[in-house]
Amino acid sequence: MENYYDLLSVLILLSSFVLVANKKTNAYIKTFRIQSAFIALTAGIMGWSSAVNEGKYDILIVCAIIVALKVIYIPHLLNKTYGNIEYRIEKDFFLNIPILIIICCGLVVFSYFSVSNIGTLTGFHINHQVVNSFSVVLIGFFFMISRKKAIGQIIGYLVIENGIFVTAMFSTHGMPFIVDIGIFIDMITAVMIMGIMVTRINVKFESINIDKLSKLKG
Amino acid sequence: MSWLTPDYLMNWSIIAYLAAAIAAVIFYGRPHLCTLLAQSGCIIASVLGAASAFSMLLTGREKLIISQLETSIPFISIDLTLDALSAFFILILSILVCCVSIYSFGYIKHYHGKRNVSAFHILYIGFILSMFFVFSAGNAVFFFISWEIMTVISYFLVVFESEQDGNEKAGLIYIVMTHIGAAFLMIAFMIMFVFTRSFDIFGSSDAIPDFAKNLMFIFFLIGFGVKAGVVPVHIWLPYAHPAAPSNVSALMSGIMIKTAIYGLIRFVLCYLNIQDTWWGILILCIGILSAVLGVAYALMEHDIKRLLAFHSVENIGIILIGLGISFVAFAQNNGFLGSLALAASLLHTFNHTLFKGGLFLGAGSIQYAAHTRDIEKLGGLIKKMPVTAVLVLCFSLAISAIVPFNGFVSEWLTYQSLFTVIVPGQTGINIISILSIAALAMSGALAAACFVKLFGISFLGKARSEYALSANEVPASMNVGMGILAAFCLTIGIFPMFFLKLIDKVVFNISGIIVTGELQGGFLMAWYPVSVSGNSITPSAIFIASAIILICAAAVIRLIGGKASNRKYGTWDCGFGELTPRMQYTATGFTKPLRIVLRILYRPGRALKTEEGDSSYFPVSQKYSVWTEPVFEKYVYGPVLTNVKKFSLRVKLSVQTGSTHAYLVYIFITVLALMLYNRLT
Repeated sequence: MENYYDLLSVLILLSSFVLVANKKTNAYIKTFRIQSAFIALTAGIMGWSSAVNEGKYDILIVCAIIVALKVIYIPHLLNKTYGNIEYRIEKDFFLNIPILIIICCGLVVFSYFSVSNIGTLTGFHINHQVVNSFSVVLIGFFFMISRKKAIGQIIGYLVIENGIFVTAMFSTHGMPFIVDIGIFIDMITAVMIMGIMVTRINVKFESINIDKLSKLKG
Repeated sequence: MSWLTPDYLMNWSIIAYLAAAIAAVIFYGRPHLCTLLAQSGCIIASVLGAASAFSMLLTGREKLIISQLETSIPFISIDLTLDALSAFFILILSILVCCVSIYSFGYIKHYHGKRNVSAFHILYIGFILSMFFVFSAGNAVFFFISWEIMTVISYFLVVFESEQDGNEKAGLIYIVMTHIGAAFLMIAFMIMFVFTRSFDIFGSSDAIPDFAKNLMFIFFLIGFGVKAGVVPVHIWLPYAHPAAPSNVSALMSGIMIKTAIYGLIRFVLCYLNIQDTWWGILILCIGILSAVLGVAYALMEHDIKRLLAFHSVENIGIILIGLGISFVAFAQNNGFLGSLALAASLLHTFNHTLFKGGLFLGAGSIQYAAHTRDIEKLGGLIKKMPVTAVLVLCFSLAISAIVPFNGFVSEWLTYQSLFTVIVPGQTGINIISILSIAALAMSGALAAACFVKLFGISFLGKARSEYALSANEVPASMNVGMGILAAFCLTIGIFPMFFLKLIDKVVFNISGIIVTGELQGGFLMAWYPVSVSGNSITPSAIFIASAIILICAAAVIRLIGGKASNRKYGTWDCGFGELTPRMQYTATGFTKPLRIVLRILYRPGRALKTEEGDSSYFPVSQKYSVWTEPVFEKYVYGPVLTNVKKFSLRVKLSVQTGSTHAYLVYIFITVLALMLYNRLT
């Protein structure tokens, strides 16, 4: 079973690298959908094993919610929001892609360095799943910084959220159900608010380039 | 006689203050009744407070716990504890409050109908109560809370006449300065807690290591120094005192800045137990600096209240000189000298409360009658307001340390302790004390000159403006309030032994040594001579002698001169025509010699502006202006402020860019740094 988890954690990490490597803004949403699908798969396997071994079905329900929310609803919502905004091709990142990838590799090394000694999570040997998923959090954050347009910030935020969720899942093998539900409700609210904000920013500045927000400074 | 015990009276005093405040709230809409009830409440409360403190001092109890209310918040408890030192300060607070409240009956009248009198009374009572709690606080947390309440309420009182220009700035300078001081106090209390695990003021400081004690001393000195207004942190005084209403500035200058003296004695002397000689020497040096510079700047001021504010700096300096010597002596285990100097400094604290309170009230009367504080616009007030004039003269004599008023007694005691400090074999302290004798003498002389200016220009001569012409005598209650203070000044001056014995109880409580025994008392409790250094003096004898000389002189003149007849005629004007008020000596002119002598201090400048007419021989107008530089503000505070402003602007432009990415980067770096920290520790 651990082998599946290892594989999936690496795939999730890889998908966040893919995200950083994306050039076009509408590709972000697709990559996010793939990453969410991997997470749903992880939760599915985990739920299946807990249903078989312990007779608990809550992780399977979580898996269903992930599929419904992260794979279907939120990407759809983002696509819709993005469709409202006039499409314009412009360079969306501050540094070029290879440099971004190298920095992301550095982040993975850093998270390996800093997370590997957390004894309570890992026991004696290093838990690579947690290292990988923690790297996803850092990469998501870095993605927020590296992109100019507001859509990048939203996706970055969702990737951070994914990373945290996966970290929790790998380190505890199933959180209390109420916590999971709480996280999902938070996330859906955040996405809705950000969708509205992006539309407003676009109306106000005729662009969703958040650099222009600095004009608001007093 | 259970109802005469100090704690019982003290409780009733606090209740009376609260009742006065409540009365002020209830009669919000009726200013006359509001003033009457609130101020009578204060008078009753202060009489009770004075009686309580007095009986506490007379019975000579060690320590008296009035109330201890624990709250559910850790460390915060309402803890009122009296010992002789607190009782002494509550006594002087109560005496001053009683007189100021009597004065306020009349003074507040000019607010009626114009301002929210009820709010004023509530602030006024809150201010008094907070000082009350500062003096009687039994633990450091409650002390600090009361201290801050006192600061905040006095800020609101400073800006009470908010419509006048400059009051807002005055309030700002005041609150910023005192908060910097309060920050230092807080650090000192935290150090105290770290080592002793207790905030008890009366506890022992043995557990604190020497280094921390030195640090605490420095912090206490800065914290209390700001409140006391010692040079170089005095700059708030000359702004805040003139801005506040006069009865409030009497309280602020009379007793609020003394809370700092109380704090220094309480924490440095009683709690920390002087540990090194340099503590006392540092305080002594600060005292000398304040005494000389305070009076020097006072000389150049023509605004009565600013002038008096600078005199507060001077007198705090004199008090600190006494305190400094006492600390030096205690550090050298010279108990008697320490006690003598402490008594001198406490007596001067008491005296300064009386005469400075009185002087501010007098300034208030002048402002009330003439609607101006500018000395150059006054003149001839002695004919319009004779009672006020006599009272202000009394206070001026007292502050200039002239026999038979009280200022003389305490300054003389300070001199005596300075002389006694000089013993062969300790060069450094000898030189400092010789220098401080000289400085004290100089500040005394300059103070006398300053009050000759104040009294001479504003009360004598002819009226210099419409303001002075239209002045009338103030309401009787104002003069009664000042009169009581003047009576105290005179009584202490003539019968100092009685008051010294009171102070002796305080000193005995601290050091265990009785001073008055060595000062040989006797005739009318007034011989007061000292065998300390072979000098002796008796103010009452001087008083009696001068009275006899006056009577004799009058009799001789009468005998020789016979009956003289009065003939009223105008002053000879040298044939120029009528004499005008503009021909009189001005305050600027009066201080010119001193401005030239002390120009290194004042950096005076002058300019003559001429508006040319048709011919250069007939200019249309000429304007002559003279100024002195505020050295501390220009060369110390100015550069600091400019740099802080520059730095803030640079930070604002470089850190607070408004770019979302920059903020994200800050958060990201913080997260990484925290992870790294977690890994490395």
